Amino acid sequence: MLSRLALRSVQEARPFLVAVRPTSTTAVNKATERDEVNFPRRARPVEPGKVRMGFLPEEWFQFFYSKTGVTGPYMFGVGLTTFLCSKEIYVMEHEFYTGLSIFVMAVYAIKKLGPGIANYLDKEIEDIEGSWVKYRQESVEGLKQAVEDEKKAQWEAEGQKILFDAKRENVALQLEAAYRERLATVHSEVKKRLDYQLETANVKTRIEQKHMVNWIVNNVKASITPAQEAAALKQCFADLKGLAPQSA
Amino acid sequence: MALGEYPAEYNPKVHGPYDPARFYGKPDTPFGQVKLGELGSWLGRRSVGGIPSAISRAWWRWQHKYVQPKKTGIAPFLQLMVGSMAFFYMLNYGKMVHHRNYKHH
Repeated sequence: MLSRLALRSVQEARPFLVAVRPTSTTAVNKATERDEVNFPRRARPVEPGKVRMGFLPEEWFQFFYSKTGVTGPYMFGVGLTTFLCSKEIYVMEHEFYTGLSIFVMAVYAIKKLGPGIANYLDKEIEDIEGSWVKYRQESVEGLKQAVEDEKKAQWEAEGQKILFDAKRENVALQLEAAYRERLATVHSEVKKRLDYQLETANVKTRIEQKHMVNWIVNNVKASITPAQEAAALKQCFADLKGLAPQSA
Repeated sequence: MALGEYPAEYNPKVHGPYDPARFYGKPDTPFGQVKLGELGSWLGRRSVGGIPSAISRAWWRWQHKYVQPKKTGIAPFLQLMVGSMAFFYMLNYGKMVHHRNYKHH
């Protein structure tokens, strides 16, 4: 009965409980029939139950306190041990004195080394738990950083789109320049051919004309008979005579 | 109920994760509040086959209180030592009686 009394207080030791993680991933715990009031989630306590003299639970002392005050449980213990020893239900034989010496040494060792070892072990636990928490936090932060970097990369990719427009415009300009260059080439080639034609036509007409003039002149010269030549010379002399007296 | 299985009344959807220190059956009046007249019927409601599970739940309750917390001390070790010393003294009492120092008490 006393054990039940001592152990029942673990359910009410709320101030010492560590808060559990609020997230849960099991579908079972989110079911609608979950009775959170009568069956709350357990949390791991940080401090153990209080004990006196190393092993006697505090609740036993509280149980006596209302009826017998502060010294009640101690008097009960003294009375019980006196009864057991005097009636020799607890026999103090030679092994008892061995146990007594060991008990004294153990008490001395616990009192001296206890706090030191407790602090060292608590620090070890803090380190291990801290490393778990740190790993989780660092992975969360790493993932957040990755999200940020991803967003930045997306923004940079958006910038690439503007670059595409500029490149497209560049290519269009190049195409236009090539087109114009070829247009000019075509123009010059055609002009060259037409100029050639023109030149050849001009040369032809010029040669024809020259030839024709020469031929006509030669023919006319050849057709001048000597009688016509003498008559023309006579006419010229007569004209000269007519002009001469006026210029005295 | 077979060894190593959940109690028949445990339902994960209602009770959540299994807590070996809790009794999942119909709640009954605690022993400290049972009136003397009701003692017979109270004992009648208990079953002999439930004794091992009761011992197991008591063991887990002790563990949850003294062994499992993050910053336990020497207390559970000393409690186990004192408990086993008392238990073995009781088992060997027949031999101890012969080592008494006095004949008349």
